[in-house]
Order: sequence, then structure tokens, then C-alpha cells
Amino acid sequence: MDPRHDATDPLDARLGALKAECAALGPPPATDRAIAAAIARARRYGAHPRRVTRGLERWLAWPLALAASIGLIAVALRQMPAEEIVAAPATAAAARFMPVVPVTEIERSGDAYVVPARMPRMALAQFGLPVNPARAGEAIDTELLVRPDGAVLALRFVN
Amino acid sequence: MDDPVPHPPAALSERTEASDAVLAVRLACGDPEALDPLYRRHKGIVYRFAMLWSGSAAIAADVTQDVFVHLLTRAADYDAARGPLSPWLLGIARNFVRRRTGTRELALGEDPDALAAPLELATPETSLIARAELDALRRAIAALPPHYRDVLVLVELAERSYAEVAAICGLELNTVRSRLFRARALLSRWLAIEAQSTGARSSAA
Repeated sequence: MDPRHDATDPLDARLGALKAECAALGPPPATDRAIAAAIARARRYGAHPRRVTRGLERWLAWPLALAASIGLIAVALRQMPAEEIVAAPATAAAARFMPVVPVTEIERSGDAYVVPARMPRMALAQFGLPVNPARAGEAIDTELLVRPDGAVLALRFVN
Repeated sequence: MDDPVPHPPAALSERTEASDAVLAVRLACGDPEALDPLYRRHKGIVYRFAMLWSGSAAIAADVTQDVFVHLLTRAADYDAARGPLSPWLLGIARNFVRRRTGTRELALGEDPDALAAPLELATPETSLIARAELDALRRAIAALPPHYRDVLVLVELAERSYAEVAAICGLELNTVRSRLFRARALLSRWLAIEAQSTGARSSAA
């Protein structure tokens, strides 16, 4: 009987029994197969399956996308104040961990720890993120994914 | 009331969470193979939560698949600094199971104590053997209002701490406590009604 449940309380007794009965339950093999298939699909096409384009359409897709992006950026730059242009892209990019070693090395690592750290704001530039020159000398909060031996695996900028 | 969940030793807990964090980073960096150990590690708790919440093995299987496909494509959304992976997965499971069952929140002001006991709870067969009692309890849990079901399943059956449930459901700690209290009171009342009706049938026979 689960120590959290009072055997003298009828409800606790039933909850404890229900929990014990369900303890060994898990998804059916069909779900296991569906997840294995999703992993295989993601390995082949990436996590977001891409549409396969052929012939002329495939050759035109990238130049058209590039032209459209340049056009959108040009329009955005004309409409946004200078300070926002510097700050906005950093927020989205800063939200996720960025590997600082090859992914294969992260794969080989067993355990790791998330450690807060402060770094010079100029470090943003090393990851291709924009830096406001007026604030380049300030420190920025980061979180490091660190292996037990001290090696840094990935880094994320906080705020 | 004290937090009822005994927490594992800190070192062990940190090691487990760190491994999940590494696998989540690998997933976010485009390595889908990292999903396999995460799935094997957490599939049971996600499936059991969805099954106890919905009362349906088929819905639980679908929700489990939804949760891990979501993790495959949205691993970057998981922030290891904010807590372990399993409560995050349970939060996603909670959203998916609510969506699949089409449940609604109880409107403010609606009195949960006025809810009638589920009809199938009090049948002659349910109280005859322990197995049927568990089935009756399962149906009673599935008939609870969703926000009571959340805390009851997470605290009493999925062994989450009050703090974790507060984070999963986006509630204050005291709200978790009060909802758990009312969920238990409702279940006790329904089970008492069931026992009374069973006793009445036995004496009539």
C-alpha cells in the first residue's frame, strides 16, 4: 500500500489500489511503433517534413524566397526605429540553447548541468547575434550547459 | 498540509534532470534519435496520466503519441532551467487530453457540489468485487470536473508534488490544495451514495 494513502480511509484505500493497478501500464506497441516511425521520418526529412519540389520549381524556390525576404526586410527597416532593429532578433535567438561544440560531442556526453553565468555583451557577436554598440561594454546573463568535467556544451542568452 | 510527495535525493534528481536536458538539447539541435530514450523514460507516466484522466486507453495512447511528436518538433520550447522534463510533458499531455475529450472548464459560480453522481457508478455489479470497485472509482474520476480531475490525478495517482501541479496547471499552491480537497470530497460523496444504494439493494433482496 502506498504510504501516502491512509488504508483506513475508504477513498484512500481505493486510490492506492487503483494506483498500484496502473503502475505497470504503458502505451500499446502501436504507439511505440508510431513514435519509432516519427523518429525515422524526422531522421530522413528533419523534424518538420519538407515538401519535395521538382524541376524548375525547385531551382526557382530559393531565389524567389531570398528576393521576398530581402523585400520584407527592406520594408521593415524603413518602418522600424533603429533601437528596435538591434534588439528584436536577439530575443528570439536568445531563447534556445546554441551548441558550442559539435553535436556529436553533446551526444557522447552523459549528464550535464545548467549553470548560470554572466558574459560580456560582445559575446553575442560570436554567435551571429546583433550587438548594440552603445551597450557593448555591459554584461549579459547566460545559462551554460556544462558537463561534469567542466566542458561547456551549449549556451543560451537570458533576456 | 505538508507536501505529500517524498522527493528523491538531490544528487540523483539532478543527474536525471541533466540527462533529460542533454537529450532535449540534442533534439532541439536536430538529432531525432534523442527522442527514443526520452520516450522510453517518460512514456509510462504520460500514458497513465492520460488514461486516468480520460478513462480511455485509446485516448491515452493517442495523447501519448501526440505528446512525444510534439516534443520531437518543439524540444526547443523546453527550458531545463525551469524544472524537470516530466512535469513539462504532463502539462502538454493535459492540454492534449482536454482537447481530445472536448472537456470544458466549470463556469465560475457553478457549484461542483451540486453535480450528480455518474449514473453508471451505482450498478449492482460494481460493489460486488474489488475489481468492480476500481472500475467505479475510475469512472468517478473521469466524471469529475476537469480542473478537479487535474489535481486529483496528478497528486494522488501520478505522484506529483503540489508545487509541480501548480506549475503544470498554472495555479497557486493554495488553489491546488483546495481543489484537491474538493475533488476528494466529491469522490467520497459519490462513493458513499454508491455504498448506500448497494446496501439498500442488498437488504431489499
